[in-house]
Amino acid sequence: MSLQEALPDSALHSTASSVPIEHRFNPYSDNGGTILGIAGKDFAVLAGDTRNTTGYSINSRYEPKVFHVGDNVVVSANGFAADGNVLVKRLGQQIQWYHYNHNKELKLSSCARLVQHMLYGKRFFPYYVHTILAGLDEDGKGAIYSFDPVGSYEREQCRAGGAAASLIMPFLDNQVNFKNQMDPATNGTEPHPITYLSLEEVLQLVKDAFSSATERHIQVGDGLEILIVTKDGVRTEYSPLKRD
Amino acid sequence: MDIVLGITTKDAVIIATSKAAVRGISILKVTDDKTRQLSDNSLMAFTGEAGDTVQFAELIQANARLYSMRNGVDLSPTAISNFTRNELANALRSRKPFQVNVLIAGFDKKTNKSSLNWIDYLAANVSLPYAAHGYASYYTLSLLDRHHKKDMNLEEGLELLKACIAELQKRIPFDFKGVYVKIVDKDGVRDLDDIE
Amino acid sequence: MSNPQEINGGAAVAMVGKDCVAIACDLRMGSSALGVSNDFEKIFNYGNVYLGLTGLATDVLTLSDVFKFKTNLYKMREERAIEPQTFANLVSSTLYEKRFGPYFVGPIVAGINSVDNKPFICGFDLIGCIDFAKDFIVSGTASDQLYGMCESLWEPGLEADDLFETISQALLNGLDRDALSGWGAVVYIITKEKVVKRLLKTRQD
Repeated sequence: MSLQEALPDSALHSTASSVPIEHRFNPYSDNGGTILGIAGKDFAVLAGDTRNTTGYSINSRYEPKVFHVGDNVVVSANGFAADGNVLVKRLGQQIQWYHYNHNKELKLSSCARLVQHMLYGKRFFPYYVHTILAGLDEDGKGAIYSFDPVGSYEREQCRAGGAAASLIMPFLDNQVNFKNQMDPATNGTEPHPITYLSLEEVLQLVKDAFSSATERHIQVGDGLEILIVTKDGVRTEYSPLKRD
Repeated sequence: MDIVLGITTKDAVIIATSKAAVRGISILKVTDDKTRQLSDNSLMAFTGEAGDTVQFAELIQANARLYSMRNGVDLSPTAISNFTRNELANALRSRKPFQVNVLIAGFDKKTNKSSLNWIDYLAANVSLPYAAHGYASYYTLSLLDRHHKKDMNLEEGLELLKACIAELQKRIPFDFKGVYVKIVDKDGVRDLDDIE
Repeated sequence: MSNPQEINGGAAVAMVGKDCVAIACDLRMGSSALGVSNDFEKIFNYGNVYLGLTGLATDVLTLSDVFKFKTNLYKMREERAIEPQTFANLVSSTLYEKRFGPYFVGPIVAGINSVDNKPFICGFDLIGCIDFAKDFIVSGTASDQLYGMCESLWEPGLEADDLFETISQALLNGLDRDALSGWGAVVYIITKEKVVKRLLKTRQD
């Protein structure tokens, strides 16, 4: 005798018909990771760790999320990786189309405005990402643009985004913009003047920031990929981070 | 919705409380006094849940008076504040907490200093130069930040209070029917009737 | 804000140096976004032990009094001041006593043991689980920011003056990235010989 014959009709239907079961699809997830951009006098760096997670699982120890999308522009969209990848891919395509249509390079400031429109275009079903754009401005100076998920943006000297942004950002305030520091030459009466850091200093800060974040944040680690933009183009540096 | 304000001056504390007793969409009374005198030189102003407020204020009042009668001396304003805080703190983790926020204005005759304690229903107690509870704080604290001086005299304090009341009357979207103003100093607690 | 630990705001940090310890906190006490007091110290002293208490202001006040009472009783019975390690266990058991209706605090302890003269710091969760750290302890609404700062600024073997600079920079820059902390700060530098308390000038926003 099969199970269906053994059970009375009412037993099979009771749960299904009396209580409607609700199903809900969640279109977003969090893939962790963290990114960091710093602008220098004639260069800009955009760094990101290479770990990709969901919950407590590590999906990959090397999944790059900082990309060169053409015209000396590097970008990273950190948060929900699927949205981030799509945003970066579409931005690259838009830059290509710009070349075909206008036969010239896209300025970084224009690229930032384009990203705003791409993000705001999905105002009511947003790309779940914190986006950072790095490159050189029209005067050849380093530039960082940072965006919220719906396209509100600002040009800055430096910005951390993603899971460990709250750990890294105050460190950047202190070490890049010299916040809460006084000028030793004035015997502590004047604030520390704002000066550009050299590329070597910036790279060391980025590495320190990431190794600190790796130590205290479970979603950060495995590897650090730094994209460096100068007038000569984009160069990539990789260094390992702790894998625990 | 009730307005409760306190300003310390060099040797007095000014307390202002709104006269309107509001329940839902109605004003039930336009002569509601939201203060109780706790001892010769201290006064409690209160806001919060309807039944709790008076009940709580009078509980403190009765205990402060009992202490005075038993011991022949008044509790200092600091002591009363700490006692009040304790009552609120114990009530907070009981079956039914008191949902009452208070200001305790006092003049300590031993140290010859005026004091103002801000205590919320969670029993967070802080001593402040000027204080307010509820929405009134959003309208008045900026004025008080700008113009309050530690050693200002009573007249200057009342001028500052007038500015606060004017701001409240201008900006608060309902009529709170004016305020009762009381002064706590070395001579005790007295009313100040005519203030606009 | 419905989280009791984040209603009033505030932050504290402790660090170990060479034969010294430091403990520091902000001075803000607020009611959600509204600042109420800029004179609300969160560090309390019991003999040669220093306790930092962040979290719900009412519980900060209650516990600071409870520990004053308990350490005074301890002193009368033992005829000596309580040691940091002993005090840490007192904090732990006091908090665990309220396991199912806790005090909403994040305590940190700092001091130098008067027997072996070794620096000691530790932190707790709200029900008394002790975190014995060799380097630094952070607590409060700016804890994420403080972790980032301490992890990058702190190094082993700092002398008292350098420890002061390190803990001050860690606290100050951490506070500035937290809306619920700030409005002034105090730092205690504790050595075997003396304790120095310094008030820091901070941003007022």
